[in-house]
Amino acid sequence: SLESKAWEKKNLKVYPPQLPDEPRRPAEIHHSRRQIKYSKDKMWYLAKMIQGLSIDEAIAQLEFNDKKGAKIMKEVLLEAQEKAVKNHNVEYKSNLYVAESYSGKGRYLKRIRYHGRGMFGIMDKVYCHYFVKLVEGSPPKTVEKTSFDQAKQYVQNLKSRTIIHSL
Amino acid sequence: MAMPMRRTLVALHRATCRRLTNAEVSLDVRHPGPLFLPVRTKKRYFIPPAVGMKTKMEGFTEAKARAAGIVGKQENIERPINISCTAGVFDPYVPPEGDARLSTLSKEGLKQRAEQIRQSATSQLAIRKIKEHDSLFKTRDFAERAQEIFVEAHNALTQFNKEKLHSLVTERCYPEMTRGNRYKTIRWSFIESLEPPRVVHARCTDMVAKGNVYGQVTVRMHSRQTLAIYDRFGRLMLGSEEQPKDVLEYLVIERHLVNPYGRWRLHGKIVPSWAPAKDPIIKTVMILGPKLRPGEEFDALNHEVPKPAAVQWYK
Repeated sequence: SLESKAWEKKNLKVYPPQLPDEPRRPAEIHHSRRQIKYSKDKMWYLAKMIQGLSIDEAIAQLEFNDKKGAKIMKEVLLEAQEKAVKNHNVEYKSNLYVAESYSGKGRYLKRIRYHGRGMFGIMDKVYCHYFVKLVEGSPPKTVEKTSFDQAKQYVQNLKSRTIIHSL
Repeated sequence: MAMPMRRTLVALHRATCRRLTNAEVSLDVRHPGPLFLPVRTKKRYFIPPAVGMKTKMEGFTEAKARAAGIVGKQENIERPINISCTAGVFDPYVPPEGDARLSTLSKEGLKQRAEQIRQSATSQLAIRKIKEHDSLFKTRDFAERAQEIFVEAHNALTQFNKEKLHSLVTERCYPEMTRGNRYKTIRWSFIESLEPPRVVHARCTDMVAKGNVYGQVTVRMHSRQTLAIYDRFGRLMLGSEEQPKDVLEYLVIERHLVNPYGRWRLHGKIVPSWAPAKDPIIKTVMILGPKLRPGEEFDALNHEVPKPAAVQWYK
């Protein structure tokens, strides 16, 4: 549904204290902005552009992007960074990366668009929500698979086939 | 074409039948049914709801409603507020310097012990006034009770038991204790008391009206405690669970004396100006440097971090 605030509730989850031999749990900060006057499809391109980048890089990319949504997204990221340092006990504000980032449909206003011959269309005044999840630590490195590797994998799969009921 | 025709005819037939079976109408009088029944009444267009509502003058509608006699929802309803605690510590106790460092056996220690509460007149007057309202008040028992209240309040804080905490701690002290702690885990334990607690100071104050008396008593206690605060993700923020610390505290306990159901509750702590600095938190905190004009450089060697003034303050 469009009015559910589930994303903000994820910030309220409390984990039990960690034992000294456990690895340190990375902090996760969920932030969102609702009812942005922009299209969700146009926002999606920007959201997927910064997914997986470190927060400094993401802010830099959005600062020099010409789209309207980029300015709003940069404000959201800076807000999230401040909240992380103040409320969620994050030590270094640059030690964050964007783990998840996506856009969703907001609640639209409907208007009439007049056509000729007495015909009309319903015009949607479009709004969108934007969601960000920042995680403490350096961004995970995705191992890029080259085409040669993929070809080698394919040949390996073919060679490892077993033929049953054969001589 | 035939279908709509049949519909109109059917409608008329049904109307006449209904007329016949209607018990209220007398059998002699038969009114003829309507000849022109609207058939094509199905709504086939869509108008978004926002179009119909043009901007209504807000004051206009209110005046109209009042003129028509419609009573709207009552705003500014008076609500009685119960004030059951004072806003701060009145005439706070100034603990003498080097309070915990001298032992009772040395000369200076004896001098300090000699400056007991009996010397300060206002405290004696205050205690007399408290005994007027509460005849069972005794300085010796009260000190131990104060320590019990302190221990129970902090245990309730670790469990975050709101109701118990409200009954043990005044409304002024509650936000100070719980601010920022809602999504954190606190582990606190009281190991032992190093010296018996002593009543050190007492004051009685009036709030708002003349007879509305509140009593504030300061208790000095020296004890050993452990404190560990974990943040939302279970990582240690402050202190440690195994290492105990010796703590000298001056607690202010308050009670609304006039109220028969009033209880002695923790109102605050007094932190003296000579108190040793607390342990730092585990994470590093960024302190903003001076604002530079364009062209200036930041001199890291000569720059001093501003330290807070050593003033007594009460929490």
